[in-house]
Amino acid sequence: MNRRKFLQLMGATSVVALTASCNRNSSVMGALPGPTELARFPEKTEMILLTDRPPQLETPIHYFRQDLTPNEAFFVRWHLEGLPTSVDLRSFRLNVSGHVRQTLQLSMDELRSRFDPISIVAVNQCSGNSRSFFGPRVPGGQWKHGAVGNAKWTGVPMKSILDRAQVKEGAVDVSFNGLDAPPLPSVADFVKALSIDHARDGEVMIAYAMNDQPLPMVNGFPLRLVVPGWYGTYWVKALSDITVLPQAFSNFWTDKAYRIPTAPNGTESPKDLAKDTVPINRFNVRSIFVRPDSDEMLYSGAPTEIEGVAFDSGYGIRRVEVSTDGGTTWVDARLDPEIGKYSWRRWRALWTPRKLGHYRLMARATNAVGDTQSKEQWNRSGFMWNVIQQVDVKVG
Amino acid sequence: MIPKTKSLVLSMGLAALLAGCAHPSSSKEQDHGIANGKMESMLHSRSDSPVHTIVMPHDEPVFPPGSGRDEFVTACVVCHSPRYITMQPRFSRTTWLSEVKKMKDVYGAHISDEQVLKITDYLVSINGQTGTGQGPKGTYGE
Repeated sequence: MNRRKFLQLMGATSVVALTASCNRNSSVMGALPGPTELARFPEKTEMILLTDRPPQLETPIHYFRQDLTPNEAFFVRWHLEGLPTSVDLRSFRLNVSGHVRQTLQLSMDELRSRFDPISIVAVNQCSGNSRSFFGPRVPGGQWKHGAVGNAKWTGVPMKSILDRAQVKEGAVDVSFNGLDAPPLPSVADFVKALSIDHARDGEVMIAYAMNDQPLPMVNGFPLRLVVPGWYGTYWVKALSDITVLPQAFSNFWTDKAYRIPTAPNGTESPKDLAKDTVPINRFNVRSIFVRPDSDEMLYSGAPTEIEGVAFDSGYGIRRVEVSTDGGTTWVDARLDPEIGKYSWRRWRALWTPRKLGHYRLMARATNAVGDTQSKEQWNRSGFMWNVIQQVDVKVG
Repeated sequence: MIPKTKSLVLSMGLAALLAGCAHPSSSKEQDHGIANGKMESMLHSRSDSPVHTIVMPHDEPVFPPGSGRDEFVTACVVCHSPRYITMQPRFSRTTWLSEVKKMKDVYGAHISDEQVLKITDYLVSINGQTGTGQGPKGTYGE
């Protein structure tokens, strides 16, 4: 097909009636899907547009020069078309029910005033972050490395809420549902669950603030489940319903979706798919280059700061090694002070290229229990990417 | 530009889409105080207001003519933006067929087996590989 004609057509026609009827404004978004199309959504800055409905927005890498990712630039990923666009805090309640002695209907004011708040700095990363780097390519959100962010989350420990509800003996799982709704009755509502022990570990929490501000609507206003060290699929947005269960939770989004092979880093072969899979869970170890960019021009004799962030599921980053010769030799990067065990940790290395030419930069993180990054990795869903990143730069 | 017949079909597709827009679960709205679709306070909802509202931008690509386009517009775009197609790499027919079947069998898209094939043809024609590549089959929740 003729690409130019395709683009013209997409830019050209209608959708106007649609816009009006849906009460959505026709906005600054360009109509032409391209490699890196930018879009500005409500309460957000310009972000990389993957999809608009439901929205999937990726953070441009330069925001990772800050330890805490600004709310307006934090990545966005929804599953269901019917995401909430208006919440009335006068009538909003967080409902706690199921295998408890005391059901709860908590207003935002009650969550703020009747529970001691905690704050945790934690990375949230989409299961499919960096999916577009898998080969062979796999279907799904074609993220580069920006479906991740680090924020200070403030709210109430889930344990405090479950204790208030007086969980009965024999509880097994706790499920979490948000205000988002499926576009068809046949589509499973997006509900996720944690084990009762995990939910009561004192770190899993319900956040009403993100970097000391209310959450943007598309990041889960007014409440979001925070599951430190675990993939974003568990961080249920616009959280409204918590159900304690006396049996194991089961639904499409756990039984069929978001599953990984049992091998380390969720790896399997395209020619021999794993028979056994488990629900995705904790982050593996990875590092992300913040600078230089691959298309940045560097100069021989000029000191160049190489910088990135590294994180894992909470053991802590202990070492990051950097190579400027495609992995032949490695030197230790300097690590910034640890912010918190669930935060990412910044690393830096000063490099002065001596000769003109092309260089391949690499960075490899290792955590406190000796886990390090993959050399090769693939799975059918494009989850858990943690291959050692390569950045090719030119020195002129 | 788009031939007349295609425009007509496009309108029909949009009608289906509008139904999709109006959908977001009304019972849930009552339960939780969502007031989807109130224009007035949307653009300037103040931080101290008890009602927090946004307006989602809506500007989706319109797809080029081709066999299977009608089925695509009516059956697929009800639930998601066409960008779910355009953001993907050029997949093999095997992969696209697997994706379309998933929409029918797993998510309950209202399409017949015959329409599955027509939609697959269309997706391959606009964003597929020529030849008979054996690309990966899609999975769920990605």
